[in-house]
Amino acid sequence: MTDNVVIEASGLKRTFGEVVAVEGIDLSVARGEIFGFLGPNGAGKSTTVRMLTTLLRPTGGTARIDGHDVEKSAAAVRRIIGVALQDASIDPLMTGNELMRLQAVLHGISRSESRNRGAELLARVGLAGAAGRRVATYSGGMRRRLDLALSLVHEPSILFLDEPSAGLDPTSRLALWEEVRRLNSELGTTVFLTTQYLEEADELAGRIAIIDHGRLVREGSPADLKSTVGSPTLRVDVDPVFLESARSVLIGFGPERPAFEGRCAIGLDGGAARVAEVVRALDVAGVTVSHLELDLPSLDDVFADATGRRLEGAEK
Amino acid sequence: MTCSPTRPAVASRGPKSESPTVSGGAATGLRLAGAQTLALTRRSVVSEWRQLGNVVPGIVFPLLLAAVYTHQFTRVILLPGFPAVDSFLDFVLPASLVQSVSFGATEAGTELARDIENGFFDRLRASPCMRLPLLLGRLGGAVVVAAVKGVLIIAIFLLFGAEIAGGPAAAVVLVVAAVLLVIAIGGLGQMLAIFTGSQEAVNATFPLVFTSIFMSSAFFPTNLMSGWFREVAEANPVTWIIDPVRRLILEGWSWADVGQALVVPLVISVATVTMAVVALNRKLSSS
Amino acid sequence: MVASAICGRGMRRIVARPTLIMPVLLMPLIFVVSFTGAFGSLTRVEGYGTDNVFNWMAVYAAMQGAVFAGVGGASTTAEDIENGFFDRLLLTPGSRVPILVGTMAYSALRSTIPTTGVLLVSALGGLRLPGGPLALVTVYVATAGMASAFCLLGLAVVYRFRTMRSMILIQVCGFSLMFLSTGQVPIHFMNGWLHTVARVNPVTNVLRFARQGFLGDLTWSMTWPGLVALGAMVAVAGSLAAHQLRRLAA
Repeated sequence: MTDNVVIEASGLKRTFGEVVAVEGIDLSVARGEIFGFLGPNGAGKSTTVRMLTTLLRPTGGTARIDGHDVEKSAAAVRRIIGVALQDASIDPLMTGNELMRLQAVLHGISRSESRNRGAELLARVGLAGAAGRRVATYSGGMRRRLDLALSLVHEPSILFLDEPSAGLDPTSRLALWEEVRRLNSELGTTVFLTTQYLEEADELAGRIAIIDHGRLVREGSPADLKSTVGSPTLRVDVDPVFLESARSVLIGFGPERPAFEGRCAIGLDGGAARVAEVVRALDVAGVTVSHLELDLPSLDDVFADATGRRLEGAEK
Repeated sequence: MTCSPTRPAVASRGPKSESPTVSGGAATGLRLAGAQTLALTRRSVVSEWRQLGNVVPGIVFPLLLAAVYTHQFTRVILLPGFPAVDSFLDFVLPASLVQSVSFGATEAGTELARDIENGFFDRLRASPCMRLPLLLGRLGGAVVVAAVKGVLIIAIFLLFGAEIAGGPAAAVVLVVAAVLLVIAIGGLGQMLAIFTGSQEAVNATFPLVFTSIFMSSAFFPTNLMSGWFREVAEANPVTWIIDPVRRLILEGWSWADVGQALVVPLVISVATVTMAVVALNRKLSSS
Repeated sequence: MVASAICGRGMRRIVARPTLIMPVLLMPLIFVVSFTGAFGSLTRVEGYGTDNVFNWMAVYAAMQGAVFAGVGGASTTAEDIENGFFDRLLLTPGSRVPILVGTMAYSALRSTIPTTGVLLVSALGGLRLPGGPLALVTVYVATAGMASAFCLLGLAVVYRFRTMRSMILIQVCGFSLMFLSTGQVPIHFMNGWLHTVARVNPVTNVLRFARQGFLGDLTWSMTWPGLVALGAMVAVAGSLAAHQLRRLAA
């Protein structure tokens, strides 16, 4: 294992009775990377994070965080990681300040230093005003921000964020992305981020792994992944009565791709230049087109290509 | 569960319950009230049966208490002034019964509170539903379970050697008195549910009920108590029920005792249920 | 450090929401008042051991309160598990044993509240200390020990089942254990199976140790069995809890 790899998993597996939640995952994350773990609900993202953060024991395989085995040296792992889980892990009866202090003490930070750091972190996530109030009075967005602040109190070199912007409004989401970028660029924090939002993975992650039904199906930088899908997607909306003829015409221009009901979609070989040809061919076949669009490949296309489903759910 | 006259009562399970038809009118009103009460009682009994696990503590705990006291008060029953008994078991039978039925007595109230908490109450407000059947129906379940528990406890006591001087009739009186007590406590719980709308508040009455059984002649004769505690115990309605019942068990049949044992809980239950209905009406009419 | 932070957090929560401590304080007070009122005549029976029923019952009520306090400590953990905060505690770097110790310490500290309440009320009822001020020491030691033992037992159950509802099991256990002992009458008042059960029940030894100063002088022969019983209960419960904590991530 090279000095540069801080998160490493080999054949990581987790079963719950009969159910296999995570099946043989291999991954490696380099120091200073923002690594995105993308997949739909139930894909195994949270289970993987819980294994990497010592909250759940793997049933198979190994994982190491900065050289420490998650099972054998769990205590050492917990010293260097910061974790913000999917459900904000907070106590509603305490105030923001009290929680920050407790977290600091748990990590062995001295009283005076914890006060300073706590105040700074709370201000950074925009909770300075609410810090003295009981968490039960916080909104969902505020709780997530507090959770993030708590995960940073000991200045971890590796940060695990499990669906950090779930339930956040767009403004808060952008603010969160800003903070993650800052942590990474200014402090060199390695970030392991799980999400089901394509945009989030696209915006933040330097490398992405796509997980579906407990397995890794694709891995690479967003640009590389999109280029594997190759050609842009041409989507055509037609009246149901023309669906079959439209499909048979379009197939001549490229491979079929998953689409919603009432739509045809293909990967258009030759790119945008051929759109005029397609329209002519459809016209000749007597197909009435109600809507036509050409999309450059997205991560959704990558997902669809790898799994046969859209991340939003339509079947192939 | 809605009970608007424009729709048949939902919980019509099985051949016994009637499905009331749509039209209005006073005669049908009474019939409807009866049908609703029956249907709601049936529903309440079924739900209690399905949560049988909840019934077990109400049987085991009083029996445990009775067993322990019987074995640790063998010298106590010899105290001058203590009623003549062969064993503390004979003395404690009414107490165990009362304690056992008190375990499920607040259920009617908590169920109502739950409905208020989760919004069913608002649906009720929007329908011209009968008030009394609603309250009585819920008590129906508690009553049936109490009767079953009463019979079971008496049977177990008899098995362990207790004797009822007043015979089987006295046993019946005992069960009826306990059932009336359940209605009384249930009505109180329902009133609390209507006022507070909170399950927690209704549940908090259980320790009060539990304590008030101890602060009576249930576990010790009041003539052997002293001070303010004795005054409280003698003023406690539970004492007014337990004393005559105990006499029926230890001394034999007496119409005066039967009268007191049944009238006291009857009066209280009529009072609490009436207050619950009044509270419900007031809550529903105030928008 | 971690343990004291967790203990401190528990106490702060009581300040934040005083209703948390109400049942733990009120039930023992209700016990002591009800039992002394109802069973006051026990003192007339020869061989009872004291002429003031409070001298016998106060310790019983205080220890019952300690059991509630112990279970309450474990309930806090159940709540934390249900709302996700426990994950954050589990992420504590280093060993997780301080989490256990901190929760136990919180329960022991918590138990001083019902104990003090019961003693104050009993003082109003004429409680006397023939054994001098040391009588109070034994009570507080016994109640802290009981609270710790039942907290640890509760934690073992909570770590295993992870819901608040599993607490009822321990409540019932604790109440029964207390009841099947010399809580209300001396052992020579008992007969049959109850006598046997009370004799082997460790709580009987703890009660004898805690109560001795209210009945007479303190002696070593009444002290050491109680301390051994307390130690054994805490050790057994503690190892169960530690074992379940280790298995928690499995």
